[in-house]
Amino acid sequence: MKILVTAKRVPDPESTIKVNSSGDGIEEAGIKWVVNPFDEIAIEEALRVKEAQGDAEVVVVSIGPSEAQEQLRTGLAMGADRAILVTGENLDTSAVAKILVKIVEKESPDIVITGKQAIDDDSNEVGQMTAQLLGWPQATFISELKIADDKSSAECTREVDGGMETISVPLPALITADLRLNEPRYASLPGIMKARKKPLEQIEAASLGVDTTPKIVIKSMAPPPAREAGRIVESVDELVTALQSEAKVL
Amino acid sequence: MRSFLSKQCDAVYVRKSWETESGRSQQLWAGLAELGALGLQVPETRGGLGMNEVDMVLLLEECGRAALPEPFAETAAVAAPLLASLNDCAEAQSILSAIAQGSAIVTPSHEINPFVSDAHIADFVLLSRGDEIHLLKRDQIEAELQESSDPCRKLFKLRWTPAVGSRVAAGQQGRSLSDDMLNRAALAVAAQQLGVATRLTDMAVAYACEREQFGKAIGSFQAVKHQLANVAVRVEFARPVVARAAFCVATEAAERSVAVSHAKIAACEAATAAAKTALQVHGAIGYTWEVDLQIWMKRAWALDKTWGASRVHQARIAAALLGGEAAPSFGFSV
Repeated sequence: MKILVTAKRVPDPESTIKVNSSGDGIEEAGIKWVVNPFDEIAIEEALRVKEAQGDAEVVVVSIGPSEAQEQLRTGLAMGADRAILVTGENLDTSAVAKILVKIVEKESPDIVITGKQAIDDDSNEVGQMTAQLLGWPQATFISELKIADDKSSAECTREVDGGMETISVPLPALITADLRLNEPRYASLPGIMKARKKPLEQIEAASLGVDTTPKIVIKSMAPPPAREAGRIVESVDELVTALQSEAKVL
Repeated sequence: MRSFLSKQCDAVYVRKSWETESGRSQQLWAGLAELGALGLQVPETRGGLGMNEVDMVLLLEECGRAALPEPFAETAAVAAPLLASLNDCAEAQSILSAIAQGSAIVTPSHEINPFVSDAHIADFVLLSRGDEIHLLKRDQIEAELQESSDPCRKLFKLRWTPAVGSRVAAGQQGRSLSDDMLNRAALAVAAQQLGVATRLTDMAVAYACEREQFGKAIGSFQAVKHQLANVAVRVEFARPVVARAAFCVATEAAERSVAVSHAKIAACEAATAAAKTALQVHGAIGYTWEVDLQIWMKRAWALDKTWGASRVHQARIAAALLGGEAAPSFGFSV
């Protein structure tokens, strides 16, 4: 069994994000970059499937700048077998999905697992677009994954409004990981050392014959308005008056 | 390691450790083993990573940053490499595998310290007395708990009876291992102090950016920011000194004792200065039980006095310099 899993390079969620001076992106200086936390969950699930299956191979893929090698090494340190980095700039979700399709066609995995979304742009599109372009079944936002004994299908539990939904998808399929799917492991020191020697293939996006012209153009970015300090009121009456006359919510 | 400790050993965990009988967590220890940290200096043939002090000081700095209560430095950075050097001792070699797996805790005891840390949970005590090194099982010692200024530190007064059977080195080898124990432990303290100092500085800077006076964050006043900058400089200047000492120990350089003493002094001065400044910046709230600052201040003060106070290490440097023994190669001007 082969599992393809994604590892997008995103700013550390604990970093302070500032809009750059030209207002069309973020200030990247001094930012720590990490694997998208949802992709980290996807990698962990791929490793758990591998450990359960015994003979599986986990291939971790990143699409973005050459610096994303760091994130791929993290995936390799966690336990993935090899990595593929597709380098390219200004890639929107549509371009990323088309590139991922090319990699899937090259690798022919049984399952593709991605994070349900990346925490930088929160688009929540690549998984669904990729499945659509491949014509594969998809199970999104899953919180539990069970591979059938004959490896022909996967039972996926997903959170829906008011409860849980369990669906079965034939393999190959694309799955997107939700927060509660698992708790990702730490990369161990032996894992980090082994990761240095694991294969990491680099491919230029331009060589894949994909039209990567962005369909989305970011016109401007602005930080959210500063939150005003709260005020302690003396009585319920004063609170109601403030909600009516100042906040105008009553 | 930082990511692991930030989740598994946060201030809440450290405070909880003050209230439990052992003050230690088997789960956290197992996590350190799983991470490979406990076996970092255990030879590969014994299930470790076979790495050296240059790598270990990076982990120890993280231990200081997290104020880790567990005896990681004692077991992984001091006892493991000492046991690894006892090639003729089958018991020492078998303990190494257990250290890497997280199933053995070994604490060192040296005449320079009146008390031994973590004797209550240690499976073995590696004890240096005179020119002899003894490897004692837990049932061969009596340990009496002593109070520490840092409630995380569990210190014990040991009672034991020397026996030929427990002796693993004597004479020249014993003296050499005793020196080695002191160097490794002092280096481990220095590396932890870097982490302690960094954490204290980070906390003080965060507070200075948040706390306002006269309508401004207090960090904008020169009287505050210059003090913080001075501490940051001390920490950054101590870091290469610790790295150099680690390299000297790893390569068994002739000047390693001097390099370690230099590192112990520089890192402890940075940590105690950071503690003093952080307390000043926090003002009265810094003294309160509720504020976590005390965790790192107490660690800085406690580590400063262990494995040789500054005057001990100053004396070692002075002896090397004034004794004329290869002084020029140390890069000191005399």
